[in-house]
Amino acid sequence: MKRPANPGTHSLLRLLFLICIGLVGSSSCKPPPIPRPDDELVARGRDLFFNETFEGNGRTCGTCHPASNNFTIDPAFVATLPDDDPLFVAEFNADLERNFENPTLMREVGMIMENLDGFDDLENKFTMRGVPPTLGLRVSVASQNGPRTGWSGDGSPGDGSLRSFATGAVIQHFTKTLGRVPGVDFRLPSDEELDAMEAFQFSLGRQEELALPLPLKGRVPARGQEIFNDLTLGKCSACHFNAGANGDPNIFGANGGNLNFNTGVEDLPDQPADLTGELVPPDDGFGTPGDGTFNTPSLVETADTGPFFHNNSVETIEGAVGFYDGESFNNSPAGQLLAGATGGPIELDATQIVAVAAFLRVINALENIRESIGLLTSFADRKFLGNEEFEQLLARAVDETDDSIGVLAGGGLHPEVVAHLREARRLTMEAIESRSSSETLAREAIREQELARGELIEP
Amino acid sequence: MVKYCTAVGVVIALLAGLSVVWAQKTTERFIPIGQSPGLSGEYTKIGSIESVSVQEQTVMMSDPSGGYSVRLAEDTQIWLDKSKLGATNEVGTVSDLMAGRRIEVKYKDNDPNAAAEWIKVEMVE
Repeated sequence: MKRPANPGTHSLLRLLFLICIGLVGSSSCKPPPIPRPDDELVARGRDLFFNETFEGNGRTCGTCHPASNNFTIDPAFVATLPDDDPLFVAEFNADLERNFENPTLMREVGMIMENLDGFDDLENKFTMRGVPPTLGLRVSVASQNGPRTGWSGDGSPGDGSLRSFATGAVIQHFTKTLGRVPGVDFRLPSDEELDAMEAFQFSLGRQEELALPLPLKGRVPARGQEIFNDLTLGKCSACHFNAGANGDPNIFGANGGNLNFNTGVEDLPDQPADLTGELVPPDDGFGTPGDGTFNTPSLVETADTGPFFHNNSVETIEGAVGFYDGESFNNSPAGQLLAGATGGPIELDATQIVAVAAFLRVINALENIRESIGLLTSFADRKFLGNEEFEQLLARAVDETDDSIGVLAGGGLHPEVVAHLREARRLTMEAIESRSSSETLAREAIREQELARGELIEP
Repeated sequence: MVKYCTAVGVVIALLAGLSVVWAQKTTERFIPIGQSPGLSGEYTKIGSIESVSVQEQTVMMSDPSGGYSVRLAEDTQIWLDKSKLGATNEVGTVSDLMAGRRIEVKYKDNDPNAAAEWIKVEMVE
C-alpha cells in the first residue's frame, strides 16, 4: 500500500519526534572500540567468563551462557548436563533448594529465576525467564535512552551498563545462600574484571549490522525478506532494522538504537511454563514496578537460539513469527497503536509466516557460516583468538556448523547447502582427529563452508 | 510512504519508553557502600549524616569536600549495608538515617539537585 509523501507533514512530525527525544534527554552508550581478536583484555575476560566462580556456589557466567550452545541454554542442552553441573545447584545445595531456581522449569522449559522486583518475598515475588544469548551485543545494547541489558533492558545495577551486568548476575545467580552477603556468599567482581568481561562479551558474534536487503538465492527466503522489510505487510524492520535489535533510523532517528515494547507476549495462552502447573508470576518487564515492556532482541542470532521471547513461550521460529499475526500481539499496546498508525494489524498467512521464518533461518545460517569460517581460519593460521581457546576452535566450528545444518534442514531449506555443510563438518571432525593434516583439513572445511555460503547468497 | 513511516515512528516512539537509563535496583541493594559499578566515586556522594529533618524530608550530609543537602522523595530507596557485619543487606526506612552514620547517596538522573534515588546506610552494630 503506497501513501503519498508530504514533505511538510514529514518535517513537522520528524521535528516533533526529535523534540520528544531531546526533552527526555539522551544518554546513549557507545561500546568500546572493536578489540583485536588477540586482545589480552578479551582473553582475560574469556577466562573470567568461563572459569571464575567469584567464590560463590560454583557457577560461572558460562554455566548459563555456554559457548557450545550459542551462549544460552534450552531444554535440549540442559538434558545433556550431568546432575552435578552447577546449573543445578538448587538441586544439591540445601541452602538453595527453595526460592533460588525452579528445577522443573529449568529442565523442562529452560528457565531461570530472577528477583527483578525485589528480594523481600522470595516465595512469591520472582520472574522466570529464558537466558538471552550474549551474541552481537556490540550492535544491540546501545540506545539513545541508555544501555539496554537483559530481557527487559534493565538488567544491570550500578550505571546500568553491560560492564556492570556481571555484578548483578553474581548477586542473583552465584550466591551460596539466599542471604547474598558480599564477602561471605560471593565476592563482587573488581573493576579490572568488569572491564575484561565487558570486552569479552562485546567481542562475541557479529561486530556489525547486516545491510538488508541481502541478495539471497532462495526464492522463499528472499520473499520472506521482502515481507520482513515491507512496512505495510510484515512491518518487522520497523523495530528490527536490518534484522537486528535496533529501531529503523528512518523512523526513530540515527541514534534510536535498541528499544523496549509491550508486545503482549505475557498474554499468550497455554504457555509451556504455565502448563507445568508450577507457580509462574506475571512478568511486568522494565522497571520496578514494571511498565510491561521488554527489550527488542536481535533476529540474526535467533533461529538457533530458541525457545523464543523472554519467557521461552514459543519453541519454533515459525511460531515466533506467527505470534505477530495473533491476538496477543494485535491486542497489545504496541500492536494496537501500530495497527492504528498503519491502517490495520499485521496479517500474514501461513505461507508468508513460513517465508519470513525461512529468511530468519537463512540469515542465521549465514552468521553461523561466518563464525565457522572465522574459527577454522584462526586454527589454520595458528592465530590465537582472545575470545576462544585455541584448543577449542575446531570443536566450536563443529558446533556452529551443526547449528547451520539444523536451522536449514529444520526449515526444509537449501538441501544442497546442507550437503556442503555436512562435508565441512566431516572435514572439521577429521581435523580434530588428525595430527599431521589438521591444517589442510581445516582449509578444506573452509572451502566447503564458502561453497555453502555461495549457494545461499550472491557474491 | 515517508509520511507513513514517520507517523508509525512517532506512534511507536511513544510506546518505546522514552525513559533514561534504568539500572536494576533490586541487586543494587546488596552492593556495599562505595562499590556500585560505574557509580561510586563518580556519580554518588559518600559521607556522614549530619542531621535529618523528617518534616522537610531532607538529610544533611558531609564529606571531605563539604556539606550537602539530600532531598528524600517518596520513592527514594533506603538500604542498610550490613556487609561489614557479615549479614544480609536489608531495606531500611527514614528512621535508619541517623546522625553519624556513613551513607552513600545516588541522585535521580545523577543530578545533585534532584532527590535521592537511593541511599545506602552503613551498619556497624
